[in-house]
Amino acid sequence: MGKHTKSVLGLLLITILLLCFGDFGFCAPLATEVAVDEWEIPFLNCLTGQIASIGKYMAWSARKAASEINAAGGIKGKPVKIVDYDTGVSPDKAIEQMAKIANKSLISLGPVPEACIMAAMPIAVKHNLFSMTASTTYEYSIQFFPWTLSWSPPTDKHLPPIAAAWAEEQPEMKKVVQFLEKWACWPGMADAHAEGLASVGVETLNIEVPTDVVTFGPLVVRALSNKPDGFILVCTSEKAAKIIIELEKYGWNDKSKILIFGSADDMPLYTTGKESLKGCYIYGYLDAAKETPRWKEFREAFREDHGGLDPTSLSTVYYDCVYMIKRAIEETAITGDPEKLMEERVMIRDHIREMQNFDGIQMSWSMKDGVPSDKGSFLFIIGEGGEKKFIRYVDVWD
Amino acid sequence: MEVFIAQLLNGLSLGSMYVLLVLGFNLMLLVAKIIQFAYPHLVVLSMYVCWGMLKYTSNVFLVILASIGSCIAINIATEPIFRLLAKRHGLDINVSFVVSMSMTLVITDIMSHLLNYGFPIAFPSKWIGKSVIGFGLITFSSGQAYALFGGIAAVLAFFYLLYRTRQGRVLRAISENSLLSSIIGIPTIKTRVISYAIAGLLGGLTAIMLSKMLGSASPALGDFVGMKIIATSIVAGLGNLKGGLVCGLLLGITESMAIGYLPGSWSNAISFMMMLIVMLIKPEGLFGIKA
Amino acid sequence: MSPVLYYFLSLTGTNILMCWSLYLPYRVGQLHFLTVACMLASAYFSGYAARELSWPFALILIFGVLIGALICLIPSFTIGDAPCFTVVIVGLTVIFIFKTAVENIPALGGTIGFFGIPEVKGLLPLTYLLLAGAGVLIYKIDHSRLGRAASLVFVDKATAAATGVDIKRLGMFFQIIAGGLAGLAGTLYAFLIGSLFPEFFSLGIIGTFMCMLFVGGHTTMWGIIASIPILEGMQLFLPSSVASWRQVIYALTLIAIVLMLPGGLITKRMLINLTAKMFNRSDTGKASGTIDKCIK
Repeated sequence: MGKHTKSVLGLLLITILLLCFGDFGFCAPLATEVAVDEWEIPFLNCLTGQIASIGKYMAWSARKAASEINAAGGIKGKPVKIVDYDTGVSPDKAIEQMAKIANKSLISLGPVPEACIMAAMPIAVKHNLFSMTASTTYEYSIQFFPWTLSWSPPTDKHLPPIAAAWAEEQPEMKKVVQFLEKWACWPGMADAHAEGLASVGVETLNIEVPTDVVTFGPLVVRALSNKPDGFILVCTSEKAAKIIIELEKYGWNDKSKILIFGSADDMPLYTTGKESLKGCYIYGYLDAAKETPRWKEFREAFREDHGGLDPTSLSTVYYDCVYMIKRAIEETAITGDPEKLMEERVMIRDHIREMQNFDGIQMSWSMKDGVPSDKGSFLFIIGEGGEKKFIRYVDVWD
Repeated sequence: MEVFIAQLLNGLSLGSMYVLLVLGFNLMLLVAKIIQFAYPHLVVLSMYVCWGMLKYTSNVFLVILASIGSCIAINIATEPIFRLLAKRHGLDINVSFVVSMSMTLVITDIMSHLLNYGFPIAFPSKWIGKSVIGFGLITFSSGQAYALFGGIAAVLAFFYLLYRTRQGRVLRAISENSLLSSIIGIPTIKTRVISYAIAGLLGGLTAIMLSKMLGSASPALGDFVGMKIIATSIVAGLGNLKGGLVCGLLLGITESMAIGYLPGSWSNAISFMMMLIVMLIKPEGLFGIKA
Repeated sequence: MSPVLYYFLSLTGTNILMCWSLYLPYRVGQLHFLTVACMLASAYFSGYAARELSWPFALILIFGVLIGALICLIPSFTIGDAPCFTVVIVGLTVIFIFKTAVENIPALGGTIGFFGIPEVKGLLPLTYLLLAGAGVLIYKIDHSRLGRAASLVFVDKATAAATGVDIKRLGMFFQIIAGGLAGLAGTLYAFLIGSLFPEFFSLGIIGTFMCMLFVGGHTTMWGIIASIPILEGMQLFLPSSVASWRQVIYALTLIAIVLMLPGGLITKRMLINLTAKMFNRSDTGKASGTIDKCIK
């Protein structure tokens, strides 16, 4: 076979594959009260690359909600389907994928993570698409209001009381070293922690954590040479765990003087840190020890599919999102008709942004202008096997 | 002074790991004439094998055997790909770089999709061990001791093999001139496969020592290390084994000192700036190209 | 125009420019990743000049190209004839240094990214016009004495030097032109996409560009034009069930192409034979065999 023939065959094969597997959106809706056969909810998520595991469990929770809804008869009698769109943690791919979604969808989940939010959300805004981002930081979300929502209030209001609450638990602390990885909105979160600590008379010293650091010994030596009384970890969950292990190696045994920030409340923290985390403080947005039947069923299913690990803060976000979408569709005249797409996008946006008494998997809350108005934050101590013991509820919404 | 000594110890143990990686990388470059960019990723995959074995057995010998064996096997499994590549493209190391870069994507995705649900792995505390020295900040863990002394032993054994044995002479002959070597009867393909096996052996040993020193691994680890290894190898002089030894050790110490004393977000940029200056002044590397 | 088509065409256009900027220095056997740093610098300069200084687009475009060319000019004095891997490392280190600088400069958005770059009306057609211009320039270079000299350098540096080719000046020339193209790509990217992120300029994007170059064919400028729409199209049209394995599909495609079709999908020999068939010339095919061996 000549090389040219191979080239032509290669091109032909790729074209055929594209045609075979391509999703060109040829499906037409039915002309009934509900104009769709199923409610397709696109999820712009990170399914490839180094943090694919995080994207996967977020997709898992969205699917869990969808399967429960479908088992109970769907939304207005039609089943829900979560459709994955992968950002690969790459902003340019996020842009392309959001462009696909912006073309046809009623609403969107994602994007994940922050860099992709910043890249892709302007497209959602431009095409009037309400997209429920995964950002735990208000400052990211507010730029795209009203076309997204925030899961937390402004960082400078939200985090200082939490850091102060931890410091109050450790009254002898005077100086704290904060390990800070300069990524996305984390410097702003570190400033907020420092502000909270300053309000109770604790001094903060930041030590930057390089992104591609291999071993954490040098960082810990540097931190300990400043003779601190405690530590706050503002870095990826995996790095936070490694720093704690290294601190332990250098003889730091008082874990109660270590606070892990909320964004690190993620699987890699527990799979890497294991027993070394015992006694550390962490703040988060869910109480894994909650005993309601619905939560227990969710937690057990999660554990079963994730090697016995407990769900973390972000695990429940997209579970709740799918139920919020369900309620919004059921409580409005949304039909899914492509002819009314623009009108219905506004309808679902307005309903979700002001949704009252939403029955979330962890708690009930109400939305006001796209921000939960009464959803709490918790301060925990990590116990045996990563289980979190509730210490304090921090009301940061006033 | 206490801080300086502590950082030096950290740097030495990390540097010994870099040395092993650079040696394995350079060996394949010299003998097989390939840039195996995926070599650190294979080492990380081997760490996953080690972790997997530890879940099923407490027999240390079996764990070490599986870890080293897997690294050798996977490394040898890539040989036919590079041989076919050489057949198609001639001995073009640029193309081998392109192919091995693609291999890194495959290995990283396999780890982030299929192993431990994509989450980082942590080795049991029994495996990692405890501190052997502890005077204030001057702390030396058993993992670091394994890394440093195991690294030194492996390097010595490697250089003994290369400069004091018949097989070493064969390897060096092929690295100097593979055509003439084949004319005088040296089996070039077999020797190349052996170089893959030796690199795999070094990789497997590195995986075990890294698992003891770091105590954990993640899919991203290969990328973090890979870039540094290739940069060190080039700064030392591509294929220069002795240069790689010095520069690998220097990289570990420089990295530790930079993290220990410089502003965090600029520390790596400063290391890269130093590499850039070396490259611009001495494009053939500090110790000269041997490949 | 639908948003999918807009972004498909935008990214296809800028990617073709970037891959051409890698193709040119590869003519003399150098993987010149420094062009990615040029793209980064020009893109951020363009974004800043447009949003903060309100400079006119035309002026920004000119400066963008100049910045790209200048970034390549300075190191080319020492790496104009350097071995491939020295050029690789210089490129990678400069990318990393630039990226770190951007991440630490709050005015450029730091790690969060730089966004809100104003739109320029009619930019997409202009992009393709500029792309055509760049294509003509590369075609002219390829078919000039410089192009033939580059082919000789690729095959055998010693012979090239013996025949009087000034390898260093030739390398410098290709590097500077490549820098200018990358600068152009950076400026257009900033305005077409409207936002910039330091994360974008990393090993991943280099891998993507290499994939596009080697799958399309690195022996001719046309290969890139064939591979980029296919690879970009794959991203857009692959179903969600296989989306999560996209990186693996990319990587395996690249390995398969490099192994099975060493010159990529479109090779120089293929084009010459095609031309011969079109004009019914039987002698060209024979000559092309020699050319392809030379060009690889």
